[in-house]
Amino acid sequence: MFYKETGQFKSKYKEELAAFPLFEDKIGIGILGVLTFLVIPLFGLPGLNYEFAMGAIMIPCMIFIIMTLGLNILLGFAGQISLGTGAFSGVGAYAFYKFITIFPDINIIIALVLSGLVSAVVGVIFGLPSLRIKGFYLMVATLAAQFFLTWAFIRVSWLYNYNASGAIEGPNKEMFGIIMIGPQSSGMTRYYFVLVTLIVLTWLASNVIRGRIGRSWMMIRDMDIAAELIGIRPLVAKLSAFAFSSFYVGIAGALMVFFWLGAAEAESFDINHSFLYLFMVIIGGLGSITGSYMGAIFVWVVPVLIKEIGKSAFGFDAFVMENFSTILLGAMIIIILILEPHGLARLWQITKQKLRLWPFPY
Amino acid sequence: MNEKAPKIMMEVKNINLRFGGVVAIQGVSFDIHEGEIRAIIGPNGAGKSSMLNVINGFYHPQEGEIWFDGQKRPSMEPYEVAKTGIARTFQNIALFKGMTTIENVMTGRQLQMNKNIFWQMLRYGPAIEEEVQHRKRCEEIIDFLEINHIRKTPVGSLPYGLQKRVELARALAMEPNLLLLDEPMAGMNVEEKQDMSRFIVEVNEEFGTTIALIEHDMAVVMDLADRVVVLDYGKLLADGTPKEVQSNQAVIDAYLGVPH
Amino acid sequence: MEILHMIFIAPFLDMVALPDLFFQGLWDGFVGGTLYALLALGFVLIFKASGVFNFSQPILMVLAALALVSFYEMGINPWISVALVLVMMYVLAFGVERLILRNLVNQDGNILFMSTIGLTFVIIGSAQWIFGGVPSSMIHAELGFPVGSSEMPMFGGAVYFEHIDISAAVLASILIGILAIFFSKTKIGRGLRAVADDHQAALSVGISLNQIWVIVWFVAGIVALVGGIFWGARSDVSFALQIIGLKALPVLIIGGFTSVPGAICGGLIIGLGEKIFEIYWGPMMGGSVEGWFAYVIALVFLLFKPQGLFGEKIIERV
Repeated sequence: MFYKETGQFKSKYKEELAAFPLFEDKIGIGILGVLTFLVIPLFGLPGLNYEFAMGAIMIPCMIFIIMTLGLNILLGFAGQISLGTGAFSGVGAYAFYKFITIFPDINIIIALVLSGLVSAVVGVIFGLPSLRIKGFYLMVATLAAQFFLTWAFIRVSWLYNYNASGAIEGPNKEMFGIIMIGPQSSGMTRYYFVLVTLIVLTWLASNVIRGRIGRSWMMIRDMDIAAELIGIRPLVAKLSAFAFSSFYVGIAGALMVFFWLGAAEAESFDINHSFLYLFMVIIGGLGSITGSYMGAIFVWVVPVLIKEIGKSAFGFDAFVMENFSTILLGAMIIIILILEPHGLARLWQITKQKLRLWPFPY
Repeated sequence: MNEKAPKIMMEVKNINLRFGGVVAIQGVSFDIHEGEIRAIIGPNGAGKSSMLNVINGFYHPQEGEIWFDGQKRPSMEPYEVAKTGIARTFQNIALFKGMTTIENVMTGRQLQMNKNIFWQMLRYGPAIEEEVQHRKRCEEIIDFLEINHIRKTPVGSLPYGLQKRVELARALAMEPNLLLLDEPMAGMNVEEKQDMSRFIVEVNEEFGTTIALIEHDMAVVMDLADRVVVLDYGKLLADGTPKEVQSNQAVIDAYLGVPH
Repeated sequence: MEILHMIFIAPFLDMVALPDLFFQGLWDGFVGGTLYALLALGFVLIFKASGVFNFSQPILMVLAALALVSFYEMGINPWISVALVLVMMYVLAFGVERLILRNLVNQDGNILFMSTIGLTFVIIGSAQWIFGGVPSSMIHAELGFPVGSSEMPMFGGAVYFEHIDISAAVLASILIGILAIFFSKTKIGRGLRAVADDHQAALSVGISLNQIWVIVWFVAGIVALVGGIFWGARSDVSFALQIIGLKALPVLIIGGFTSVPGAICGGLIIGLGEKIFEIYWGPMMGGSVEGWFAYVIALVFLLFKPQGLFGEKIIERV
């Protein structure tokens, strides 16, 4: 009874095509907005140290949601499997680094968009094999991207401006008179910047997937031959998915290094990160935006919490807890694939369904 | 239908299609008149579906020509063929299983939609207007095929008969000139077959869509079709009105047995 | 001009100038190639028998090697350690069949594949927890494999043959031969092929899927153990071996996913190719090109010959 669609009639298609057609959803989004814009930046998360809550939970979570959105567009919506996400995020990060060091006056937003575009171009190049191959074959092609690019991040020293450390580091940089990135930037500014980016990117993604282009991706995913016979050009559909996905992943990579870590080496973009992002998508739910949120939060927060709880409550050392969370993640994947291939998002839907009928389940 | 000199919409001439050493179609020619219902029949493995695949551009015959709207058609990819106004349903249902009925029908409008990625991203102005306009058209088709009640159901969970109907809706959403139906009534019960036949006739008469269909149920073919092509082992066996075909001795020997 | 000379001419001049070095590269590449081929066969086996693209094959190799070394370090006789590892592999095969495959019968290939990624992480976590993550050295000497190396004068220089490499090449070749015969000549092998084509059809003609899956996973475990012993002997026993094991994937692409001779040829192409490329072209590109060479070759194959050297061409139907 909390959640019902009866009585909410739409008299225009436009209203039905809105992002949140239901009144209850609008309230939920409003509450989330107040929480993320006011409550969390002021008070942090309950029971956690403020710095820890912002730096180790909130900011990385939001960045990983962008990453997951990107991979989900490719895997969940367009059905093209990729194990190169880590490397594509690296392309975004290195591109951003080059842009802000070559053009020190460049606006951060423009640099971010441009690095997303660079990543999109690289994504399209490595997505080319998808025109002839699918499934595992494509997976191996993306592994080629993964290994080749991480090699390049180490060996092509131009990418990190010939630093002795081999790392890329964010210099202090202002936007509209406020220091946005670098050692002197405040956590709060970075938090708001990432939050706004996340909202904008989520909104854009949800628009695209509900429209013509999003449908063409799902058509290719569900039945590529039928899609082609209806007039979809596989070339355009697949490569646009690669481009759009890599755009998001590239932006997430740049955010990860410059708005969260502060500095990074090639290891931040290695194959284990690709797996991590894949897990976020699978656990959250293939082909779902809400799922991308849930998956990223779950996969990032649960191990962090496990480590904390294990340490404080049971006195286990970090090594044991880390292995425990690795096992847990792997097992989660298997269980989710067996029980509910659509992940947490589907569970959420079922819950909503139940809420609609509550308290009379039949 | 039309007794005056009929206009030829499509003509296939001397099609030969081979897969390695296997000959699927051998020297088949026939034509499809504008506005008619043309049936293609034949035993299993006669090359009927392969013929539709050739028309669709999914298979490329080694020899032969396809004439469409009075012009010889160059070798085309399936998506190019779709642009010329040829739509198709499939023998084994080929719906997009992860999408709802309305979304599936909307996919039929893809070719008519053209707003670029930037409008799509904003989903504002021209993009949303386009979406609404095509949504209206799709709702009309859904009404016409009487599937409004399953509009928002994921198609994977629909019963077989309804899935076939959704597939027809998707093909109709393309507003095709030529509609190819591959066994539209396979696996249906009598009632569903009656419904489907009614829809086919209505599409043909109301929208003036030319229809070519493959069907095994002879009663249906004899009732619906204006003219019938019979294939057997990839060769053309007979071509003519249902009556002519029915009384053709070669056809009776090869396939029909006793007409029922 | 100079750069063209550097890429297209100089390396070949080097090969001719120092033939002994070239031959050394070929030999090293050949040994690596047979080991890749063996691992790739592990993939082919499971892929043929269950349509599962088993991403956990490399980590099985790590697990086998780690477990072997750890058992030995606990003071267990090396051959009993081998037996224990085999028992462990069988239990694992049984568990995988019971807990994962059985519940995913007839699922889409992507889902099965992703479940093996999940399995990979379960194994990583467990192996690190139980055996620790510290690299250790292989116990091949204790198992009676010859150590040391022979120097053979050749082309005015000398070529070194590590004895363990010779054993590796010989044993891997024998195992490859056995597997090839197992596939084509035995009843189980034929059953395997039936299962790969269609799960339900195989069930309906009375083939026990569950039994076959346990068998192939166990065989893959044996392959992993042999691979683990020799790769472990060539480098260290550590989780880095997983990256080496992953190279069986490009081998499969080159050979074709279902072909036994394909896996062998692919293994040799990758093994020889990456060694020679590393020696003669690697330095000008900054080194360590072995990490991606195999994948880039596979990428080229995917673009021009997606079904691989020996793969079956698939005709799509509507």
